[in-house]
Amino acid sequence: MSITLDQVTKRYQSVPVVNDVSLDIEAGEFLVLLGPSGSGKSTLLRAIAGLTEIDHGRVSLHGRDVTGVSAREREVGFVFQHYALFQHMSVANNIEFALRVRGVKAAERRARRKELLRLVALEGMDDRLPSELSGGQQQRVAVARALAHRPQVLLMDEPFGALDAKIREELRRTIRQIQRELGIATIFVTHDQEEAFALADRIGVMNQGRLLECAAPDELYTRPATRFVATFLGAANLLLGYRTPEGVRFAPPARRERPPREVVAVLRPEEVELAADPADVRSNFVGFGTIEEVLFGGSIERLRVRMPEDGPVPVAPGRDDAGGAVLEVSRTLPEQRELPVGVGRRVALGARRIHVLPTPISSFTVLATDDAHATRLKQLPLLSTLAGRMQTRVSTRLERGAHAPSGMPVVATGPGCAESVDWLLERGAEQILCLSPAGPVPAHVVIYTPDAAARDGTFAVAASLLRHIPAESMYLAIHPADTPEQARSAHLRELLDARSTALTRHGLDLRTEARYGSAEPELLRELGAHDGTMLVLGLGSLERGDGSRLAGLLEGSVQRPVLIVRPAADMDQAH
Amino acid sequence: MAGWFRKPSVLPGFGLTLGFTTFFLGALVLLPLAALVFKASSLSWHDLARILLDERAIASYRLSFGAALLAAAVNAVFGFIVAWSLVRYEFPGRRLVDAVIDLPFALPTAVSGIALAAVFSPTGWLGQKLALAGVQVAYTWLGVVVALVLIGLPFVVRSVQPALVEVQRDLEDAAETLGASAWQVFRRIVLPAVMPALLTGFTLAFARGIGEYGSVVFISGNLPYQTEITPLLIVIKLEQYEYDAAAALGFFMLVMSFVMLFAINLVQAWGRRRQVAVGR
Repeated sequence: MSITLDQVTKRYQSVPVVNDVSLDIEAGEFLVLLGPSGSGKSTLLRAIAGLTEIDHGRVSLHGRDVTGVSAREREVGFVFQHYALFQHMSVANNIEFALRVRGVKAAERRARRKELLRLVALEGMDDRLPSELSGGQQQRVAVARALAHRPQVLLMDEPFGALDAKIREELRRTIRQIQRELGIATIFVTHDQEEAFALADRIGVMNQGRLLECAAPDELYTRPATRFVATFLGAANLLLGYRTPEGVRFAPPARRERPPREVVAVLRPEEVELAADPADVRSNFVGFGTIEEVLFGGSIERLRVRMPEDGPVPVAPGRDDAGGAVLEVSRTLPEQRELPVGVGRRVALGARRIHVLPTPISSFTVLATDDAHATRLKQLPLLSTLAGRMQTRVSTRLERGAHAPSGMPVVATGPGCAESVDWLLERGAEQILCLSPAGPVPAHVVIYTPDAAARDGTFAVAASLLRHIPAESMYLAIHPADTPEQARSAHLRELLDARSTALTRHGLDLRTEARYGSAEPELLRELGAHDGTMLVLGLGSLERGDGSRLAGLLEGSVQRPVLIVRPAADMDQAH
Repeated sequence: MAGWFRKPSVLPGFGLTLGFTTFFLGALVLLPLAALVFKASSLSWHDLARILLDERAIASYRLSFGAALLAAAVNAVFGFIVAWSLVRYEFPGRRLVDAVIDLPFALPTAVSGIALAAVFSPTGWLGQKLALAGVQVAYTWLGVVVALVLIGLPFVVRSVQPALVEVQRDLEDAAETLGASAWQVFRRIVLPAVMPALLTGFTLAFARGIGEYGSVVFISGNLPYQTEITPLLIVIKLEQYEYDAAAALGFFMLVMSFVMLFAINLVQAWGRRRQVAVGR
């Protein structure tokens, strides 16, 4: 491995801007870190270069642990967004800087400089000053300068951000060529997905300090695992889907015996087929829609199609989805020729390909006694933050009905909570979010699963949750106080096992701790320690009265948010 | 009219502004100086030489120019450090310190002089301690330097501060990733970027030091041949109604100041050219 990051965390004023990032980059690999501004990608890059100290975790370059090593001794090449050329030095002196400070002889420096200038196609520019060069040329000089001391790792922080489109494209090609030629492991930070697709062997998508996913560009585009990646990379229609024996359906379920499992489905605009008549739809027929907007964009036509009210439900509640979801559709020229459409036309829609996100949280349903109560619950920081960041729908249900809702039910802690939980568990709820009436968005999450069988499913939900709130997580194991000393080493092994499962299968970095005592007091003590602590509780197979047994946690004096997870025995892993 | 050197400008009324510029320069700067030259020129060459080459006068030149040069050099070093810490560090009371820097500007110089004399006199707080170490500041040439350091400090700090702000952190980071040590970063990146501003600050402090009167006379002791600065000598001549001698000395200071400031400007220009050519 050329670059190995292990649980790298960087906080500013106790807010993590880089949160538990672990990543391996092979020799010669070109990795693009992609994310919106403020996602922590630049900070991560600076941490690798040693320009920013990290609070937790390790950074290794070529097997050498450099966590405590200064930037000066890390031997990396770094290219800055605004070139950072030394304005008072000529191009030659800029490029030779790294060699000069190392005391390399003049003749050798000269030879290396000539070689580098040839590499970046700037021969003969030796005596120019940076101010006499164009932006593109300056960045070429910066690249040559960063490579002068033959670093094994090249780090580039939005290097083309300040350049115009045509020059960017040209530089992209140059960079890729140089990188291949030198076989140097490269991390390239950008917020431009086009750039990411053009350059990357692998793309890592960051948001809110977390590395959400890291995979080959096509893999990431066709099979994203998170809604953020699905919508950030290209356009996507995110719809609530329902898993039926015949496959995923978009129509909301009728009130049947047991509601089908709700999932989040990605329908790319280019995978939507338009036809004049359902009989002409070659892919799976979705429903009818009315064209609302047509934008001609050269090779591609972009459409917005309004679906009927009883049609597919968008995951994110939009401003204008009164009257049904609006689907984004894009069509190529041949498709346009086949069926020219105009605004107001009614068309049949088909889905060529849908991708179901493996995320276990699809939407929320607030269970409340009246509208005011529901509004209060929706405005609690935890739920509003989660719904906002996940861009997901929060619906309301005022009467209990016959079944648990398909989305994650949300109730308030306090009197009656345990009874509601009981009722929901009995009627097929797999996750329940219990909101405490006070308290901030949790900064600490405690995960506890009394039943080992529920662990994996619980981790999956916890990982999904923790992608959206920047909290530190801890896995707590509680064993009887009278456990003999010999048995305790087995408990430690179990913890290690849990930790590696969480990390490898769910990308969830956990602290682990074993306690000896009885569960409820230990949990209450842990929850009481900080104001912003949340419990993720994984329950095993259903037993009557599970909820009542939780009364101490849900209705006691220390009320904290609790997310109850009860993975279904037949839980189908969607991939 | 003067269309050929007129460039489009956001300020309207080119003629008016140029008129003001020439009027102010002429009436307030050049005219009094011309009067000085005129007064001095009424002397014969012989008298002029007698006044200027008088032993007492020469001693005063040495003190005035020497102390000003030394004080400016001290300020260049310490002013830079002060500016550095004000720009680069966030510490409690930073704004207060920043405001205190300007106090020597605002204070009547005589007040600073009296305060310094009180502190550094052999019975003053610091003077007592220094006397034990065998150092006497007040009433020696050292006192003159101390006064000029106080007066000159804001010039250096205020010149260097904006230049330091301009030095991008990126540049230092870049140098660091390229393997430069802290000293190399300072020597090769920061200093060259700040040098012009530092020289400007030095020049201003020096110029102010040559002309300074109020703060020096109280601490220097004013012993002829030893701690008497040229401006004081001029005042003494005036008090003795020797207007010609005062004008001659003033004229000489004028010429010397102009020559030295001009020389520093030349050095600055040469430094810029050299930087560009050698690229260090």
